[in-house]
Amino acid sequence: MSTVPQMPKSWRVESKPHKFCPGCGHGLVLKALGEAIDELGIQDKIVFGADIGCSLLAWDFFNVDTVQTHHGRTTPVVTGVKRANPDLICIAYMGDGGGYAIGSQHLVNAAARNERITAILVNNCNYAMTGGQMAPTTLPGMKTETTPYGRDVKEAGYPTQGPEMVAAITREGSYVARGTISNLKQLKSYIKKALENQMAGNGFSFIEALATCPTNWRTNAKDTWAFLEKEMTKYFNVGEIKNHAMKEGE
Amino acid sequence: MFGGIPISERILEAYIGEYASGKSEVAVNRAISLQRKGREVTIADLDLVEPFYTLRPIKKMLEQMGIRVVAWETGETLGLGETGSIMKPEMRWVLKRPGDVILDIGYGVEGAKVLNLIEGAAEEKQLKVFVVINVGRPLTATINDIVEYVRDLAPVHGLINNSHLGDDTTLEFIQEGAGVVTEAAKTLGLPVTATYMERRFEAALGGKFDNMGNYVQFLDRYMANTFW
Amino acid sequence: MAEKPIQGEKRVFMTGNEVVAWAALAAKADIMYGYPITPQNEIMHYWTRMAPKYGKRFLQTEDELSAGFTTLGGVLAGRKAFTATAGPGNTLMQEPMSMAEMMRIPSVVVIQQRGGPSTATVIYSQQEVTMTTYGGNGEGFRIVYSTANHQELFDYTIKAFNTAWKYRFPTFVLGDGYQAKMRESLIIYDPEEKGVELVQTEPTLGREAVNGEKKPVHIRNTYNTEEELYEVVTRYMEEYMKYAPEIVEYREFDCEDADIVIVSHGVVSRAAKGAVQELRKEGLKVGYFRPVTLRPFPADQLKAVADNTMTLLLVESSLGQMAKLVKDAIFGSTVALATLFKPGVGITSEEIVAKVKGMF
Repeated sequence: MSTVPQMPKSWRVESKPHKFCPGCGHGLVLKALGEAIDELGIQDKIVFGADIGCSLLAWDFFNVDTVQTHHGRTTPVVTGVKRANPDLICIAYMGDGGGYAIGSQHLVNAAARNERITAILVNNCNYAMTGGQMAPTTLPGMKTETTPYGRDVKEAGYPTQGPEMVAAITREGSYVARGTISNLKQLKSYIKKALENQMAGNGFSFIEALATCPTNWRTNAKDTWAFLEKEMTKYFNVGEIKNHAMKEGE
Repeated sequence: MFGGIPISERILEAYIGEYASGKSEVAVNRAISLQRKGREVTIADLDLVEPFYTLRPIKKMLEQMGIRVVAWETGETLGLGETGSIMKPEMRWVLKRPGDVILDIGYGVEGAKVLNLIEGAAEEKQLKVFVVINVGRPLTATINDIVEYVRDLAPVHGLINNSHLGDDTTLEFIQEGAGVVTEAAKTLGLPVTATYMERRFEAALGGKFDNMGNYVQFLDRYMANTFW
Repeated sequence: MAEKPIQGEKRVFMTGNEVVAWAALAAKADIMYGYPITPQNEIMHYWTRMAPKYGKRFLQTEDELSAGFTTLGGVLAGRKAFTATAGPGNTLMQEPMSMAEMMRIPSVVVIQQRGGPSTATVIYSQQEVTMTTYGGNGEGFRIVYSTANHQELFDYTIKAFNTAWKYRFPTFVLGDGYQAKMRESLIIYDPEEKGVELVQTEPTLGREAVNGEKKPVHIRNTYNTEEELYEVVTRYMEEYMKYAPEIVEYREFDCEDADIVIVSHGVVSRAAKGAVQELRKEGLKVGYFRPVTLRPFPADQLKAVADNTMTLLLVESSLGQMAKLVKDAIFGSTVALATLFKPGVGITSEEIVAKVKGMF
């Protein structure tokens, strides 16, 4: 990673500055993705699907073919593209709601079928675009518009641990990891491995990226990072969870 | 006159309140009245929950009146279904601008905490936070409800009585609201900064104060057509 | 025991979504199931804020399919359950609602129409009429109220529970993004104190044992032969047609001597009303007809109006979804049809006045 801030070549200049809120995690995840695309030289073969929610602000983000789908339906649309034309590198980009709520059945089934796509899910613990409702990954006690008194685990369960769930379903050839925007180098390496996994035709690749949402968390910069690095990590472990693409000794 | 702040100092004010309490209307009128006194004013749209009834549709009109507006242009956020509840980067730095700054803060479960998103808000001693109350809103209709509601927001510098029923408002209703809000304010140890009412009640009021002795500000309606 | 949410009656200032939440409380709804989608989120925001105070329950589901099916479950358990959605969520809601139609489950669903098809806009439209009235597979029977202002949103949300539980057809309150977000004053009240009887619920599943004996209940929505299905569907149809006259609601004025009758529903009918009053002042013979129930549609009443005038002007914020219902209702009439269609866009009384003047 360069020490001088540079825009990835795969980024679309005309749509910058982007519309994500100041302090939003999406910008950093998309930077890591953009650099991974640059380094792998696959810009022209990418099909990028964007879900509903803040993810859809990534619709004109890259200079790659992009399709904005319905809420939770990015995984199946992208699966459909890949099945029809396996030469394309297909990425499904979504949020915690699009992946673990309305899109969960698609995520689970894509994992079970070992679809050769790469799903990237940005986890910021709420439904941000619609005003901050509870999401599957909302932390216990967290106040949201639909948990005004704090998330009660007796009523709403514990935060969904998506990569662990996917890893329990997939078999040989899959790559599953959880990164964080507070370690961008590591997140980029995970994304790159996930894409390489698809390029090698091994199996399903899934990356969850822990991200910030100061707008809906209503936190200043210091508290935003504290929440990401200290609170979220209590429920979401950062690291590679499944790496069947790697042989022993690597 | 407003809260007794000397006119030479910068006026920094945040207007918060329950959903549909009328805080945007109060904030816009305040910004316009300051601008008419020859002051440099910026108003910032910090409605982050729902994309309806924000300052966006009147941004150009306010700019033509000489007020600086920090808000998205409606056209900038459109084209993509759900967009509207995102923060413009300039909003983060709005207190660093010269002149007066009026913040119109949307509702939301932790509405007042929106100030955490503004650089320097926590340190800025001159920033005054006013809670706009409409007793026609069921969750802030009684003294107890208002006290409970305001207690959860900290810190607050004054309450504003903006009691109304839209087109069905009567002066009587506004005065009733003044009574409730003033009592709540006493319990909270806060001043009632003003009672706001539409200009059409000016003649009937026949004075500058409501029946609790609070100063009255007259409102012109700007927000009625800001649906989208 | 939880206190009553509304005592007596009082005039308040609210947004449409809040009105729905308060009306559901007033109707003694027990539980709401829901999923976020603009522009109806505040129904959930307010329900979850008020629920603990009044002993009510809430579940945010994983999507609208689930919100619909969990609502059916709640209703089958004998509770007043409801949900709300819009746009693409309404599309998903059709699957659970078709089960409600087949099994005669008294669900209540509030729809706040937004632009379509697909994600389109979050703002407003009248483009979910076809889907809300006839969105299921097969011929299902449902009741749909189209409201025009906050007082009606309050009154008809309460009525929807009564209608659903009395006649056992899934019942809908069809609003739109404008109504959801607009601010208006209205009178909220406790229906029982006003003499409105609230229909009691009873469980289908989980009934208590009677005299120590629990008789298990088996319910289904599947049939083996064409004849079985035919018998069930025609029986439902006969029952629906028998009750339709009691359920149908509409408003009309100035139609007796009208040359043109403006037909509109929902929020557009407010503009139509203003237009008719304005045109009459100018001496033009114009009438107003507004179906309040889109299903069952006031067909006989509209046919009578159609047979007594020269032209029906159909005005709606869609490309003819209400018009389809109108044509079906008045089949055989020789009245001329004119249209003012603005899909996904609001319509003002000035526009309607201009259109009518252009027709004379």
